[in-house]
Amino acid sequence: MPAPTTSIQSSREYPTGELVRRLLALAWRFRADFLLSVSLGLVLLLLGLLGLQLLGAVIDVIRHALDPTQRAPSYPFGWMPPARWTALQIVTALALAIVAQAVLRAVMTYHYNLTTARLTQGEIVPDLRGKLYARLQRLSFHFFDVHGSSSIFNRVTGDVQNTRLFVDGVMLQGVNMLLTLGAYGIFMWRIHPGLTVACLWVAIPLWWVTDYYSRRLRPAYMLNRELSDELVQMFTESVKGMQTIKGFAAERHQIRRFAEANGRVSSQQRRIFQDISIFTPVTQLLSQVSLVILFAYGGWLFLKGEIPLGSGLVVFAGLLQQFNAQVANISTIANSVQQSLAAARRVFEVLDMPLGVESKPDAIIPKRLTGRIAFEAVTFGYAPENPALHEVSFEAQPGQVVGLFGMTGSGKSTVLSLIPRFYDPQGGRVTADGVDLRELDLDAFRRQVGIVYQESFLFSNTVSANIAFGHPHASQARIEQAARMACAHEFIIGLPHGYATVLGESGVDLSGGQRQRLALARALLLEPPILILDDPTASVDSKTEHEIVTALRTAMASRTTFVVSSRLSLLRRADVILVLENGRLIQSGTHDQLAHRPGLYHQTALLQLMDLGDVQGDAA
Amino acid sequence: MSATASPPVIPPPPSPPPAHTTTAEEREAITYYLEQEEGEAGQAPLQWVLVRRMFRYTEPYRARRNWLFVLTFLRGAQLPAMAWMIGQTINGPIAGRDWRGIQWYAAGYLALTLFMIATLHFRQRFALELGEAVVHDMRRDLFEKLATLPMSFFNQTKFGRIISRLTSDIDSIRVGVQDVAFVFAVQGMQMGVSAALMAWYDWKLFSIMLLLAPIIWVINEQYRRVMATRLRKVQQSWSRLASTLAESVGGIRVTQAFVRHEVNSGFFRKLVNVHGDNNVGVARATAVFVPLLQMKSQLFLGVMALLGGYGALKWQGWAHMEVGDLVMFFFLANLFFEPVQVLGDRYNQALTAMAGAERLYRLLDQEPAWSDSPEAKPLPPVRGRVEFQSVHFEYQPGRPVLTEISFLAEAGQTVALVGHTGSGKTTIAALLQKLYLPARGNILIDGYNLLDITGDSLHMQMGSVQQNNFLFSGSVLDNIRFARPEATEADVRRTLQTLDCLDMIEALSDGLHHQVGQQSAALSLGQRQLVCFARAMLADPRIVVLDEATSAIDTLTETRLQKALEILLRGRTAFVVAHRLSTIRKSDLVLVLDRGRIVEHGTHQTLLRDGGVYARLHREFIGAND
Repeated sequence: MPAPTTSIQSSREYPTGELVRRLLALAWRFRADFLLSVSLGLVLLLLGLLGLQLLGAVIDVIRHALDPTQRAPSYPFGWMPPARWTALQIVTALALAIVAQAVLRAVMTYHYNLTTARLTQGEIVPDLRGKLYARLQRLSFHFFDVHGSSSIFNRVTGDVQNTRLFVDGVMLQGVNMLLTLGAYGIFMWRIHPGLTVACLWVAIPLWWVTDYYSRRLRPAYMLNRELSDELVQMFTESVKGMQTIKGFAAERHQIRRFAEANGRVSSQQRRIFQDISIFTPVTQLLSQVSLVILFAYGGWLFLKGEIPLGSGLVVFAGLLQQFNAQVANISTIANSVQQSLAAARRVFEVLDMPLGVESKPDAIIPKRLTGRIAFEAVTFGYAPENPALHEVSFEAQPGQVVGLFGMTGSGKSTVLSLIPRFYDPQGGRVTADGVDLRELDLDAFRRQVGIVYQESFLFSNTVSANIAFGHPHASQARIEQAARMACAHEFIIGLPHGYATVLGESGVDLSGGQRQRLALARALLLEPPILILDDPTASVDSKTEHEIVTALRTAMASRTTFVVSSRLSLLRRADVILVLENGRLIQSGTHDQLAHRPGLYHQTALLQLMDLGDVQGDAA
Repeated sequence: MSATASPPVIPPPPSPPPAHTTTAEEREAITYYLEQEEGEAGQAPLQWVLVRRMFRYTEPYRARRNWLFVLTFLRGAQLPAMAWMIGQTINGPIAGRDWRGIQWYAAGYLALTLFMIATLHFRQRFALELGEAVVHDMRRDLFEKLATLPMSFFNQTKFGRIISRLTSDIDSIRVGVQDVAFVFAVQGMQMGVSAALMAWYDWKLFSIMLLLAPIIWVINEQYRRVMATRLRKVQQSWSRLASTLAESVGGIRVTQAFVRHEVNSGFFRKLVNVHGDNNVGVARATAVFVPLLQMKSQLFLGVMALLGGYGALKWQGWAHMEVGDLVMFFFLANLFFEPVQVLGDRYNQALTAMAGAERLYRLLDQEPAWSDSPEAKPLPPVRGRVEFQSVHFEYQPGRPVLTEISFLAEAGQTVALVGHTGSGKTTIAALLQKLYLPARGNILIDGYNLLDITGDSLHMQMGSVQQNNFLFSGSVLDNIRFARPEATEADVRRTLQTLDCLDMIEALSDGLHHQVGQQSAALSLGQRQLVCFARAMLADPRIVVLDEATSAIDTLTETRLQKALEILLRGRTAFVVAHRLSTIRKSDLVLVLDRGRIVEHGTHQTLLRDGGVYARLHREFIGAND
């Protein structure tokens, strides 16, 4: 049996260790490009060092040639020019080497950037997004109710990008940084240990300052985002609600409110600006200080003949600048760690979320059902300790129309959601043609159930595509047949491009009644033996309701139909009406029976008939 | 699909017969891809008028702006000066083995650094603050402008377009102010000063270097062009991906009910892969061009080493060079080359800012289609007698929405407007609120023509309840006292008591302080409607305009709301766009509209007896309810 709790998805804890392990595994799956990136990074680093040294050597060679009392030049990587070479030949060779190095470096940079992009944007991100999406498509509705669409949207978009940040922003950058700091440090140490220490101690306050400010600015930026969101929201609402504002002559009031929010954003920004304009100069000051030290101390060392000018002092200056840049990078990487772990938590949460309802391995693939649906003492709660249905039992015969009636929260929609097995009951069972739904193949069974929701979601696609949503390969003739059955064909051919008209945001807007009829056509296309109508006329006006009811009349013929409604006009047509209260089945019968028995249905009938009775009196 | 003063239902243009069909492949897609129609341009050419107008926004912060210019020029000279100082230190005292000189130079360098740091601090801060101040004022002006525009503007302009004025356009202007102008100046200055220094040291070496500049410029331009097309592709695949994802989340119930997850996942994976490829395409362009651009300094160093070597060792006379020049160039060359790239980027940003500014100013300059006439007077307290005298109205010329509307409502009466969607009911309500002006005819309140009175003063005596029950985010309390912000909580409580519905609000988790908005549990339809009733009640208007909600509410709540409505309308003139039979039956006057004309009028009883359009409509009601 599948897990009984389909609903309560406790958000589990993810210890950092587990997250890191899984992220490492992710990188390892794409190891070919990952290792390629690391090695290219290493090559680039070495080329950079080589370039600097070559230039230093050129300067020293020239100085030595001009003034032989100067110290003899040293060459990179222990290379020695043949003794018969003139200084000019050496300089030419070195200069050509610099050019060659520059070209090689450009080629390597190209490959490094491309490999990294392919690894992240071409491999990791599509992989994660595809998996997330596939998982999302099967998760229970509860997940969507709890998390809200924007949070889910962000998981597939921003969070995935931030998760991959662990691979390039943390692992690749980190390896690079360690190699660079190590290599540069050793290199400087070889030139002169004392000078290295004298210059590099600045790195410590530099790191400290960077870290301090990034910690200090992070909450400020977060607050800034909140305040601006608030401002944009107020703006959006004002535009949307402009008629209300004008209707109450509240323009001035609203302008004042906007001005306040505007001021809040600005004054908070100013605080951030002040911080930034201290932070940037201070970091620059620190790296300049190390240069000053270099010139004072380095100059003194040069005077004493301990280091050469070109391959010593000039190279050192170049190294120092890059070293300091890497130190400032540390806090970026530290930030990336936080960011990527938080995002990875949200991504893994979805990937690990139990599906809730799944087919058994040996599930039966049902043939066309007759449509006999039975509830046998069904107890169910979205949270098991708080049941929404208590021991509900009933049986619908093939072809019957079953009406469900009750106040909000009585459990009528819950009954409907158990029929296509969106959830499994915790007690009792639901059967179709006598077979427990849990024994049936889920997808095959659901294809035999057609559903029309209270507010039908249509996709921004053509009318045809919307009707054929459940069977994209249906023939045009079949699509039109379904549309005719739902009384939708007439208005569809009146649309600008008929069945090829695109609906939605950038397309054509349909009225409520038209939308519902399209939704009905969508459900009927599959010729389902079981039809579910969840309050299909709730949000349309009386005139439109009439249109839909007419369409439903043909649709319900020869199918087992379950319909939830608060309008008696729809319920009257049911063969049996089930009245629910607080998750219990309290009454059942036909409209005529229930309307004359005291109870909830009777009361409602009185309210809704009061108008009717009166009117009939008038008309008479 | 909110029907706020529903804009006219424009019949589709005569289209070719619907012979179109769609392929199965298109149907497997979740969304249909529409080429962005009439998209907004990303960039616009530099226009002096716009620049001047943007500049005018800095006028209130004149002192800061002028300081900023001074600082900018200082800073442009500082970096080359510092590089020069380094070169001097090496060439002078260090090469000359002068220990005291080294100390002096180091101290000088330190002093220069401190000066540079101070300049940097103020330049950065002033630029950021100036940008924010300008943006702040622009946002204010934009909002105030919007508040003066008549409703017709909001119905004709796409919602997203208005929003992006505030979000993207003003932001690109900010970048323009903060970054472009001043960075341009700094970088240009830096380029000029370092060029001058280098030319002074060694004009031969410098002129060779100068040859590299156009190459860099060309590469940079090429890079930008390639990037622009690739980025557009990324943008397209992204918007496709994002809209598909959003719809997949929104339509999850449909997907699961119709067993589409596998088809959808396959389709989405395709989109993700295409988007990934496009991203790699962008990276490829970067990967080609960025190293090319970086190579130039390396390449230059190589060339310089070679020429410098020959110049110092071999060439004599005019071609001779000093080693010191080589060192100097090593430090100065990058200061000359870097701005080439930066200036190109900033120029691009300037064009983006122009496009943003152009759109923003177009909105700020928007002439309201109409405004209160200068002679308009405030409306004195009225009793609420409303008269329409052969009123005509059209949203678009040639498409009349109302024709020859005349009727009289005595003070305190309730008028029900009845008719099919598009018959003109909502438009009558909107005209009465002076949200639009009639094309012909007069609307009189207590004998005052609406044309002669100010909209504001009219609205002070009018309350409206719209069909969509629009609420602002904030507490229930704030929403109710929206029209009278000075009202106390006790006033609001009393209002709700009068409507006999205080308990419905108190049932909310925080009662009156319950927050309406995304973060909290939403209000039920009935509660929302009640808040709107209370909002209108608290404003205590003489005239109430009410667009009745069409949605069904459970019967008990419905009964209570009907009662509250009765209390709200008692003693006031009311115009109700009616959907509920019970409301119509209680009205003093029913106007039956069809295609913009009043086809019948009378009370419920008399209309039924006459057996006309209303009686037929009425049968439809019964049909639906039967």
